[in-house]
Amino acid sequence: MSSKINGHVSPQPCPHLLVFRSRNGPKPFRALKDCIRVKPPGGRAAIRREPTEVARCGTCEESSRSRLYACVACAAVFCHAPLLHSHASDHSLSIPGHEIAVDVDRAELFCCACGDQVYDRDFDAAVVLAQTVNATATTSTSGSTAMQCSVAGSQPENLRKRRRVDYRPWEPDSGEHISRGNQSIPLLDAANASLVSSTQQPWGLRGLNNLGNTCFMNSILQALLHTPPLRNYFLGDRHNRYYCQQKNGAINGTKNSRLCLACDMDALFSAVFSGDRTPYSPAKFLYSWWQHAANLASYEQQDAHEFFISMLEGIHEKVEKDKRKSQSPAGSGDCCIAHRVFSGILRSDVMCMVCGFTSTTYDPCVDISLDLEPNQGGSGKSSSAKSLNSFNVEADCMRPNQNCGISTLKGCLERFTRAEKLGSDQKLFCQKCQVRQESLKQMSIRKLPLVSCFHVKRFEHSSIRKMSRKVDRYLQFPFSLDMAPYLSSSILRSRFGNRIFPFDGDEQDASNDLSTEFELFAVVTHSGRLDAGHYVTYLRLSNQWYKCDDAWITQVNESIVRAAQGYMMFYVQKVLYYKESENQGTS
Amino acid sequence: MSHSHELVIKSSMSRPPPPPPPPPPTTNKDQQRQNPSLQEINIKLIQSGEKERLKELLRERLLECGWIDEMKALCRAFTRKKGRNNVTVDDLVHVISPKGRASIPDSVKAELLQRIRAFLASTAD
Repeated sequence: MSSKINGHVSPQPCPHLLVFRSRNGPKPFRALKDCIRVKPPGGRAAIRREPTEVARCGTCEESSRSRLYACVACAAVFCHAPLLHSHASDHSLSIPGHEIAVDVDRAELFCCACGDQVYDRDFDAAVVLAQTVNATATTSTSGSTAMQCSVAGSQPENLRKRRRVDYRPWEPDSGEHISRGNQSIPLLDAANASLVSSTQQPWGLRGLNNLGNTCFMNSILQALLHTPPLRNYFLGDRHNRYYCQQKNGAINGTKNSRLCLACDMDALFSAVFSGDRTPYSPAKFLYSWWQHAANLASYEQQDAHEFFISMLEGIHEKVEKDKRKSQSPAGSGDCCIAHRVFSGILRSDVMCMVCGFTSTTYDPCVDISLDLEPNQGGSGKSSSAKSLNSFNVEADCMRPNQNCGISTLKGCLERFTRAEKLGSDQKLFCQKCQVRQESLKQMSIRKLPLVSCFHVKRFEHSSIRKMSRKVDRYLQFPFSLDMAPYLSSSILRSRFGNRIFPFDGDEQDASNDLSTEFELFAVVTHSGRLDAGHYVTYLRLSNQWYKCDDAWITQVNESIVRAAQGYMMFYVQKVLYYKESENQGTS
Repeated sequence: MSHSHELVIKSSMSRPPPPPPPPPPTTNKDQQRQNPSLQEINIKLIQSGEKERLKELLRERLLECGWIDEMKALCRAFTRKKGRNNVTVDDLVHVISPKGRASIPDSVKAELLQRIRAFLASTAD
């Protein structure tokens, strides 16, 4: 349908256009040129016989249709809405040679028989010229007489209001000068330019003071501060703490209204990205979080993952109250930025092992918690395995595809999406059999989030034995991760083999539109014992790794990161991960 | 300020203003009562130039909120699936119209409705 000339795709005319041209000469649209009207607000071209004509369908008299076409042969105007009725199509069918029409509001040629846009070089050139002349009409004293074009419904004043302004680079006015001087720090300081070297740290790296066993909070905050979509959201002023506080105050009517966690995040982002390198104390943030998660408010060490979940909930809650969006579907991420970034959808298929009936459920999730040790078929019995026990290493090797000796994140994901036979004590109700049967359960990922957070279950709490334990086993994790094998589409294909079968309507969109490739950008590690341990976060910025140990930030080699004991790994979609150049701070 | 009013004024400069023209004949007699019909509102909007302004405002809002980019993405995805040479304008309109209509932000709808109401109030006879 189209051919390339000098690299430009030139659409071939449809048969009706060819016939039309053969009957009316090579320039059959020259009469239309007089009817091109360019409307001032946007300079858009329309087709009207008279400047004040209100276009109306000749058959149904309606002028409010969204698509109205004028037949080029006889100038009659008709509406076109293929789903409801198309008087334009009716007209084209009733009189041969009347298939070519022009969209009266867009000045685009259309073939009613093909239902598609067609192109004529001369006509398009005339439209472009009309729009160009209109845009410069006020600046040129000698109007263009070569081209007849009228400007519909406009006064000279209207044109002057829309006249283009010459480009001038921005200079702060007096008010902006003052506020600039008071509170801002120069981004590119000429005095320090000589100090800039490869040791210059990227923007947004600032130590966080430990306020009393708060490394669990600091580590997660460091990861969130450098989560690309979250960082962009707050640095892009999408949640303005000054505006939001006013709103809260207005609703509650009190001055000391409860602040929202998103406002505190906004303040944190401002502080950390300010350029000030001295360690920051997130005391206000801690206090706000205590108010939100009252049961966790203490100076005791907390679980970083628990804090992460609680934080996301906190952001969701407050924002949801503001916008009152309660009808957005779960997992869509429309409710708040926290879910927009982290929320994905998990699919769970449970198959009855007697009749084969499979029931499918979808659940939103903000992260994926992975078991470190191989599942030994019963939740209460697996805790006796020690990581270096040779017996268990052999047991690992007996499973197919198991990488003997070293646990990997991919291995954990494979295990996560593997079909598992649920124990005889966990029979699920089968709708077809109408009794509880032994079942096969398989998890897969229906929709990937923008940022995938993987949580390694290193802390085992056994209420039976009344003890908690930490699993220190090393887990290898990749810097680049392709999530394709764990998507529902892949899992289903591997289950059913190579055949055509229907997906849910949106499933293909979910895997086509977004990439499945992810890049690691943050690792939260835990060292030490369960009751006396320490959290540290490694951040990947400008393809360098930085260790964030409370107030101390140091650049480290990637081998250090690879050898670290990962507790939570943060991966962002590759398309959102910018590989900036090394010399970021220089001009 | 609108074009049609200007014409009316020019032709009757030295005479007292003529009585308002009778409403255009309609098939449904109910439309001649207080609430103007959709047709009448539409014509009022077009003749005063307000419709074009509203369209521009709508374009701006839909661009800001990413709706236009979403529609473009939908069209691209559909075209990729069908093949570039197998897609017509009618196909695209058919495919994206339901999603497009459903995903207009409420704030945009509210703003335009407000503008239309304000306009009708300001030009009420």
